[in-house]
Amino acid sequence: MKKIYISTIALLMFSGCAQNTPDAGGNIADANTLTSDTVTLDENNMFEDGSGMNYNSSSDGFASVYFDFDGYSIAPSMEKRMRHNATKAQSAGSRQVKLEGNCDEFGTDEYNYALGLKRAKAVKDALADQGVDTSNVVMVSFGESSPVCSETTDACYAQNRRVDLRLVR
Amino acid sequence: MRRLLLLLLTLWFTTNLLAVDATLKIEKDVEQRARIALVDGSAQHHEKFFDILLSDLKISGHFLADSQLYRGGFSDSFIDPKLKSRDYLLKYNLLSGNGTKLYIRLLRASDGTELYKKSYSIPNSAKIPFVAHKAISDINAYLKYPDISWINRYVVFTRYTAAKTSEIILADYTFTYQKPIIRGGLNLFPKWADADQRTLYYTSYKGTLPTLYKIDIYTGSKSRIISSEGMLVCSDVSRDYRKILLTMAPHGHADIYEMDLSTGSKKKVTNFNGIDVSGKYVDDERNIVFVSNRLGYANVFRKGVDTPGVAPVVYHGRNNNACDAHDNRVVYSSRESSSSFGRNTFNLYLTSSRGGDTRPLTTTGSNQFPRFSSDGSVVLYIKQSGRGSAIGYINLASSQSLLFPVSINKIQSIDW
Repeated sequence: MKKIYISTIALLMFSGCAQNTPDAGGNIADANTLTSDTVTLDENNMFEDGSGMNYNSSSDGFASVYFDFDGYSIAPSMEKRMRHNATKAQSAGSRQVKLEGNCDEFGTDEYNYALGLKRAKAVKDALADQGVDTSNVVMVSFGESSPVCSETTDACYAQNRRVDLRLVR
Repeated sequence: MRRLLLLLLTLWFTTNLLAVDATLKIEKDVEQRARIALVDGSAQHHEKFFDILLSDLKISGHFLADSQLYRGGFSDSFIDPKLKSRDYLLKYNLLSGNGTKLYIRLLRASDGTELYKKSYSIPNSAKIPFVAHKAISDINAYLKYPDISWINRYVVFTRYTAAKTSEIILADYTFTYQKPIIRGGLNLFPKWADADQRTLYYTSYKGTLPTLYKIDIYTGSKSRIISSEGMLVCSDVSRDYRKILLTMAPHGHADIYEMDLSTGSKKKVTNFNGIDVSGKYVDDERNIVFVSNRLGYANVFRKGVDTPGVAPVVYHGRNNNACDAHDNRVVYSSRESSSSFGRNTFNLYLTSSRGGDTRPLTTTGSNQFPRFSSDGSVVLYIKQSGRGSAIGYINLASSQSLLFPVSINKIQSIDW
């Protein structure tokens, strides 16, 4: 009788620990594999800055500035772009320069708009540090409303965490 | 030996069954709800209408409704014997054609006595969901149950349609009815501006600077309230609708301001060189709760409108970036997974403005945009899961919850 008790208990205790049998079918090594899709580059939307991050969605000769996830400080890799933007802003004369802060899709309503604005403010401060008179600089945050890339990849999300610069029309 | 066996069996049940969910909920009030069945006496059955009536009964928290449809004559008092064990029968007759008419009769199930009857008529058949909501809220009121008139209210939300383009849409709470009311360009952050839902505030990006407008949704007339560089949001409205909380950033970082609408004067409520957003009145409007990154990550804080001290409300999670408030209760969304990219788990929690009595409201998926109903009895939210998007409702008193699947790409903000 004791053996029956012990066997029953052991059966109960281990019944919840069963593991699924690995799927033996669909061995990918035997299949003809396809390489992943190729890229399509639009040279109009590129900027050569030697940083490896060479996308650009600004206009009027400015270069977009990109940010880390949830961050709003300008990375060292963006300094060359900022020098370029400072030169462009100084040559704009009396025309207003608009800084548009943008975010990736990870965030909610108000907070994302405030984050985009902090990014625009960081670019404005960096322009001022480089001697630009920022009285003609206006900032606006578009939050996550203006993505330039909609793929679900890290590289794509990184393109959306940016400040675009352009002249006010 | 028997004691040892009992101990081991208890141990097994504890580890294998209760480990599934640490929360054990006791539904002690199930029998207090009225058992009700719906009997459709319409010439043509309208399945969606039946579903809406059923949802209304369920989310009220006051009825145990049969999910099965019964057909029968509308005018007679015949009660199918198998329905006599219910408390009530709701007979209805929906007539579509030149407008829509609805007739309802509430009968006592035991003997067929007519307790209540009413008719409804609307010229626009698209608004049929509102007829269902009104009928159920009227029956609820007749039976003297706690008010559920929130089901009659519009939900207003913004959805993105393309880059820098959005629509502001009116919906009923089930999202069955949807109508765009503002199109063209980027229009964001709608917020109801009066108790009757005739007017709302929203932010327009049409000009160089974001501008807050107030629009009458019946006439289309609108007035400019204020513009601000960077961003501008009306995050809350006082109970007398004379003051609003704004998120503005005239100096490049978002702070919360209170604006007196009669004088136009503004008072800066928060002052931080970072992010302060989503201000909501609490504690008889003496305090606000808001979202700030002042500790290095998004979290919910409390501050007096006229006093300087700031205190955290939430003491867990590393990203609590959305909240809403009603009286002294706060609902917030907390990220509970650490993936920088991709779908994270966001759960909703209910707490007090002092941070006590915290309890979870959801346990799975991504649950965001929490909003209290106008009476604070129900929380609305948007749920994203592997099965798609849904708008969810949690009745805080009855713990009844409902999800309505929606096929909307990206909701930007929501109010009701």
